[in-house]
Amino acid sequence: MADLISYIIRKVILAIPVIVLATLIVFLMLYLTGDPVQQLRSPRDSPQDIQDIREKYGFDQPIIVQYGRFLVNLLHGDFGSSVAQGTTGTSVSSLIVQKLPLTLELMAIGLTISYSLGIPLGVFSALRQNSWKDRSVMVFTLVAYAMPSFWLGILLMLVFSVYLHVLPTEGTVGGLKSIILPALTLGLGNAALTTRMMRSSMLEVARQDYITQLRSRGLRERDVIFKHAMKNAILPVITVIGLDIGWFVGGAVIVETVFSWPGIGMLITDSITGSDFPTVQGCILVLAFFVILGNLTADILYAFADPRVRLG
Amino acid sequence: MTRIRAGLSDRLLSWRMLGGARQTFVDISTRGRKNGMVVIGFTIILVITLLAVLSPWLPIAKPTVLSPDLTQGPSSSHWFGTDQLGRDVFSRVLWGARVSLTVATLAIVFSLLIGVIMGLTAGYYGGAVDYVIAGTIDLFWTFPAFLLALAFAAALGSSLTNVIIAISISYWAGFARLMRGQALSVRERLFVEASRALGANNKRIMFTHVLPNCIAPLIVWASVGVADAITIESSLSFLGAGTQPPTPSWGYMLHSGLPALQEAPWISTFPGIVLLITVLGFNLLGDGLRDVLDPRMKGLRR
Repeated sequence: MADLISYIIRKVILAIPVIVLATLIVFLMLYLTGDPVQQLRSPRDSPQDIQDIREKYGFDQPIIVQYGRFLVNLLHGDFGSSVAQGTTGTSVSSLIVQKLPLTLELMAIGLTISYSLGIPLGVFSALRQNSWKDRSVMVFTLVAYAMPSFWLGILLMLVFSVYLHVLPTEGTVGGLKSIILPALTLGLGNAALTTRMMRSSMLEVARQDYITQLRSRGLRERDVIFKHAMKNAILPVITVIGLDIGWFVGGAVIVETVFSWPGIGMLITDSITGSDFPTVQGCILVLAFFVILGNLTADILYAFADPRVRLG
Repeated sequence: MTRIRAGLSDRLLSWRMLGGARQTFVDISTRGRKNGMVVIGFTIILVITLLAVLSPWLPIAKPTVLSPDLTQGPSSSHWFGTDQLGRDVFSRVLWGARVSLTVATLAIVFSLLIGVIMGLTAGYYGGAVDYVIAGTIDLFWTFPAFLLALAFAAALGSSLTNVIIAISISYWAGFARLMRGQALSVRERLFVEASRALGANNKRIMFTHVLPNCIAPLIVWASVGVADAITIESSLSFLGAGTQPPTPSWGYMLHSGLPALQEAPWISTFPGIVLLITVLGFNLLGDGLRDVLDPRMKGLRR
């Protein structure tokens, strides 16, 4: 147990430089196009206004001072304020706090869908290896994985809302019903990955000696699979749950835009089209933080499942 | 005399290495032909690429020409129907393929270049150089490429060139990881030591000995990478951060068909189907080649 705790502490400390580097990249993004004032000003500003903006945001100071100030502000939870038409002056952090629960809700349901679909399907496929059922599952995973999420979203919308009229097209007005399609869109691609992993992991475990030994002892096939094989086969699938967060964070941006789901993802898209750069920066930092957190979770779960990792 | 001989041996050695690289390509064509996934994937890519390359000379409407037939369903004159401005959807899908394939291929070529140089340098030199580069690689590897590309595209402003740049700087880490791992293992091999004893310099060793040994996994990754790049490009265009109208692009076509989904579903669905088939083609080719060239790489991509 002590080695596990020291491993976790080591991993948390190692995550700090990654977070700092992420802030540096997000900070430098402003300078990619040259003069950052161009990102913040509105087209109607006079040269005097532009000078004012330059001084107000401290762009007249050395870049290292600016980055330092950016970091200090971040530590105070200050992401700057929005420069978009409707929300000028609103602090980015309050916008994010307002939208974040919706994105988390979407990701949580998406994650649930992808695992409750992927794991049984993977086991099913492995138990019927090389049959036509297995092959059709594999074809499904190939297509589901290749399908860009915005196109899948449109297709689901076309079938369930436009033709069958059973689910609402967009927004949050339909209550629980309106989250089904976005969450399904978000979860399906990852469900394909989970299915493939679960299948190969199950096949790997089923080949091992202890399974043969259990069968030769006369255990029922059902018990061999679900009581003994599943336990070991599911571990590698569960440990990557953290890494899946990266997939979901990227997918949420697209899915929210398709279904007008008013979370962080839609906020990013709106901010990009509205040239609201401080909001884009803030949202990307928050999403980056979740990705880092997800990776950390994956590392910890992995060490939990496989004691050899802790010593490495 | 010894110098001449050293030069000669080195040339012989590098010729044999080149032969090794050539062998990889021979393997791909002979063994790939027997693999169903490779054949299907390659056929799809070939057909789409041919249609894309030949689209200016095919007897179809120009993709930006407006006609009076607004929002018409598929017919013999407009196979995929027309959009809200009366433009031929079939022609726009083909011209969109030009954009998608060009952007994706260029982006992957650039990220391959960045990745190979970074990975080789890190893995071959080791030490402090490796520490810094490996850290950077891990950082870029950790982040979803789409999110990075979105951030860069937003910062750079949307244009075709910027999309290529954004994807390249977001996607190279996979190639770099691969190269670094290979370089780390290959540099300990005897033939590298022999080559160094013969007086070959670092650059020469890296490019004539270490690199040819990595060609097979790089090809697999590049094929899957093109599929990913097409997805990223069309996603960016869908969000309005990528290719800008009037340039035909699959992502933007899907987006513009969204308001008319009920009355004119063909505007969105046809570009979507072709997009899916293309991505599927590159994925199939990549997966198939991976099975053919090196079954041990099966765990490489989750």
